[in-house]
Amino acid sequence: MKNVLLAGLAGLWATGAIAHSPLDSTTPPHEAVVTEMPTEVQMNFKDDIRLTRVVVTHADTQGTEMDLGDQTTFMQQFTLPMRDMGAGTYVVEWRGLGADGHALNGIFSFTVEQ
Amino acid sequence: MMPDLWGIAAIVTKFTLYLGVLTAAGTVMAALVFRLERTRGLALAFAALGLVASLIAFSLRGASLTGDASGLTDPEMLALLWSTPVGTALMYRVTGLGLLAVGLFMGKFGKWVCALGGLMAIWSFDHIGHISGRNTALLDIALTLHLVAVALWIGILTPLKRLASRPATYAMAADVGHRFGRVASVAVPALIVMGGYMGYQLVGSFTALIGTAYGQALTIKVALVAGLLVLAAVNKLRFIPELQIGNPVAAGHLVKTISVEWGVILAILGVTAILTSNLTLPT
Repeated sequence: MKNVLLAGLAGLWATGAIAHSPLDSTTPPHEAVVTEMPTEVQMNFKDDIRLTRVVVTHADTQGTEMDLGDQTTFMQQFTLPMRDMGAGTYVVEWRGLGADGHALNGIFSFTVEQ
Repeated sequence: MMPDLWGIAAIVTKFTLYLGVLTAAGTVMAALVFRLERTRGLALAFAALGLVASLIAFSLRGASLTGDASGLTDPEMLALLWSTPVGTALMYRVTGLGLLAVGLFMGKFGKWVCALGGLMAIWSFDHIGHISGRNTALLDIALTLHLVAVALWIGILTPLKRLASRPATYAMAADVGHRFGRVASVAVPALIVMGGYMGYQLVGSFTALIGTAYGQALTIKVALVAGLLVLAAVNKLRFIPELQIGNPVAAGHLVKTISVEWGVILAILGVTAILTSNLTLPT
């Protein structure tokens, strides 16, 4: 009985999705290949959120935490300045809080070819 | 996707929270409805468990905002959380369980204070989660009634088991079991109707029920509840009537069945914690 339950729960985990990822669109778009390093990235969410942490990883370097400025309200659109770290793939990992109290997180990436 | 360490901690904490709040609230409600004695230690222990789990669950949400342990105590993150419905739910839980604990030491009038505290702690579940996200009063009422019925069921188990464990209280066990059976004949159908209504509203279709992880988990939960109903029916129709006519063997069976019922309830709370933490609703 215990094994059956454990197997059932493991199956649920295997097919489930972690929490909520309501990112509507980004600039540059997810997995885009651009020829020029963007000076900023834009994130558009479906609902109001507060960003709580954004980490950018370039190629295989250690992640750099971005300055989120002084947010005072829940918003749908965020524009964050990007530091040029050269050609390669940039991975942006974000975390935030929805106005309904849900913790949100997600990842998007883009590649700079020079 | 397997949950990370924080995800697993959130599920375990939520399970403990459900167990603490529902058992504490259920014990004081059962004590009030069925005039049970010697339930203070039980209610107090589970209220403390619920209180600790409430605080840890809140703190863990802080960690999910930063992605590391710093969020557990980060004043900015916790203040931000406090401003959302998560903070409102914590306030109801802490106040409700605190009121329940104080009521346990207030004599006769205290039973009502305890029940009010228990209801307040249960009401906290209407402020966050999939049901509150739908923003409909009918679903909020359904969830509250569903949880009150679940709590009452959980709350009667340990006192009834204790009464059925000693020959001196067999008659009392039979009486309490009989009265609970009468209340359950109304409360259990209400529990099923409310659960079915919420399930239909959240899942929406038979395809989603069998084709999504959320629907599959809900199906497991319903199967466990069906098993629980069979056990309860055996108690009501067989062991309680036999105990009423003084058959001591029935008391032993009743004690064993209640232990199994507890096991099934723990499994149901576990599946519910996964449903509400790790799985997204079908779209």
